[in-house]
Amino acid sequence: MPYGYTGKVLHVNLTKGELEIEEPDEKFYRTYMGGSAMGLHYVLKETPAGVDPFSPDNVLALCTGVLTGTPVSGQSRLTSVAKSPLTGCIGDAQGGGYFPAEMKFSGFDAVIIKGKSPKPVYLWMHHGEAELRDAGHLWGLTTGDAEDKLKEELDDKRIEVLQIGPAGENLVRFSALISMSNRANGRTGMGAVMGSKNLKAVVVRGKMKPAVSNPEKFKEIQKLAKVNLEPTGMDGFGKYGTPGVTTPQHKAGGLPTYNFNSGNFDKHEEIDGLKLYNEHLRGHEKDDQNRFGRDTCFSCSIKCKRVAQIDEGPFKTDAKYGGPEYETLATFGSYCGISDMDAIIHANALCNMYGMDTISCGATIAWAMECWEEGKITAEDTGGIELQYGNAEAMAKITEMIANREGFGEILAEGSKKAAEIIGRGTEDYLITSKGQEAPAHMPQVKRSLSVIYAANPFGADHESSEHDPGYKAYPERMKEIGLTNPQEKLALNKEMMRFAMITQHLSSAVDSLSVCAFVFGASFQLYSPEELVKTVNAVMGWDVDMKEILEVGERRLNMLRAFNSREGVGRESDTLPKKMFKRPLEGGRSDGYVLDEGEWEVALEDYYRLCDWDVETGHPSLRKMESLGLGWVVAENEALSHAIT
Amino acid sequence: MGPLVDYLPDSDRGKTALKLNDESTIADMLQKLQIKRKVVVAVNGDEEKGLDHVLIDGDEVLVFSIISGG
Repeated sequence: MPYGYTGKVLHVNLTKGELEIEEPDEKFYRTYMGGSAMGLHYVLKETPAGVDPFSPDNVLALCTGVLTGTPVSGQSRLTSVAKSPLTGCIGDAQGGGYFPAEMKFSGFDAVIIKGKSPKPVYLWMHHGEAELRDAGHLWGLTTGDAEDKLKEELDDKRIEVLQIGPAGENLVRFSALISMSNRANGRTGMGAVMGSKNLKAVVVRGKMKPAVSNPEKFKEIQKLAKVNLEPTGMDGFGKYGTPGVTTPQHKAGGLPTYNFNSGNFDKHEEIDGLKLYNEHLRGHEKDDQNRFGRDTCFSCSIKCKRVAQIDEGPFKTDAKYGGPEYETLATFGSYCGISDMDAIIHANALCNMYGMDTISCGATIAWAMECWEEGKITAEDTGGIELQYGNAEAMAKITEMIANREGFGEILAEGSKKAAEIIGRGTEDYLITSKGQEAPAHMPQVKRSLSVIYAANPFGADHESSEHDPGYKAYPERMKEIGLTNPQEKLALNKEMMRFAMITQHLSSAVDSLSVCAFVFGASFQLYSPEELVKTVNAVMGWDVDMKEILEVGERRLNMLRAFNSREGVGRESDTLPKKMFKRPLEGGRSDGYVLDEGEWEVALEDYYRLCDWDVETGHPSLRKMESLGLGWVVAENEALSHAIT
Repeated sequence: MGPLVDYLPDSDRGKTALKLNDESTIADMLQKLQIKRKVVVAVNGDEEKGLDHVLIDGDEVLVFSIISGG
């Protein structure tokens, strides 16, 4: 019996209805460690170059990591990988909750899904066995209803369900995978890929707990959670959740407002973590939010998830759909100029019910609102819905129309970049996308290293792919553990900040491959430091990995992502930022007048490429880099790469 | 601000006026508030001041944790 992992990968061919179990060797697990890198291994091997994201030939990999299911905070995460229908590049999305651990307990580390079922089905994995079952009666149901039905028919309340909602069935390009009806593998449209395969859900249950190699050392790691909780601030983070950063973001001039035209939202206190905790979380009437208004993931002591409930009125919301994260408060709130907390809680619940990414959905609506304000979109386009900033009712209505591809929602369901191509009229000037993915709620004008990461990240603008600038100066001891000892002044965009961006991106990539939580393991504010991550891996696995090896796993994953795009003909020309970030100075507050300098930014991008050993002209990884990471096979097995990677 | 509001004795949504001795530094202020964790401090909007920076009457001091994500 191996430590950590089960040693079993389930391959599902939905076209043929066939299931096969592969048993990779230990070297495979030590090379990729799970999650994103493991999924990319299969996606690179099994998808043909140029595959249509909605074709049966697109491969959807759902992978846990070697730590998943062991009783330590932050390990119950699952990564989904496939070609993205939103960006046409590689897609990659992480999610937490109880599903990832339960999937491990069901006896499998990963599921690799290809083909398309002739009719709706779900995959039932339990106690080391797996089967496909009819899902005709579940198709069209919201996530909450489908989960209730599955629990009833399998006669087990402890099953965990990872599923698509109606948005995924309708191929909304930013639809998500949802578990517990409120946790999302949100980004890059992985729900639409699952929908295109007629796969409604993956359902898991089991008791096969992973073994730990060194229980004593593992216990030390568990105890460290209590020691670290207060000094890292993770206790407060647990209480107020990610929404706790809303007001600090505003004060720093970095709360995206009015579709990223300002970093200053006057009504920020109406949508911040304090307001959410005190007035909206379940149990707030009796000051009992800690019991009823907070939720967690398997074996995690932080308990950062929100549970909100609205009993009556136009935004009535069931607590089973959870509560908004900071990103969601920003995209449906400040991006849209909306300060109605009930409306945001409701929009969040709609996204969880229908299965959509709250970032892309809220940001797409914010883009449409700016187009409306500028007269580029009119009532003729929207079917009479008035999309001015601040219109909370219209925001909620449009969210539902997107999920159902109804009226104007049919166009917005394509994501803002494709919607701008359909509408034309100069609406692309208002986009905030990189590679067609809407920017999350951290502003590259304020945290400058993010400007290069947003542009160059292979699956589009992302805020969890590297540490953010202020972390370098604030956490010198932890940064030193990954070789970063030279913090720069605020707003610096120089070689050292590119080193910071790349090295922390490698660590984040390792975190996404181990498939652990970016709030629990990392180089700045997280519960555990980078060295403590190394110790956790060794305690569970009985390995002797060091920091260098962990960072190399991350670098391997980053280059696999990049090589996938190279194979699709995507390189430097797609590493761009929204035009407005260079042309339109931010308005108001602490960041008034901030704008990126295109010349300075191009130099930084090239510095970043050189540090990564990617070709400055094409943006493709060098063959030397690929081979040094043990990825020579990627180039050898993909004809389309022989010209791109040299 | 943010998760740190619970550290303020008479806090109105994370805001309070503090009386400090003359020549008090940022470090003294954090000690008075019993904040032992890693925080970023901005004095009148400037985040580049060190812990030994001396505060003067009327300064607006923002104290916040860095959480990059969401």
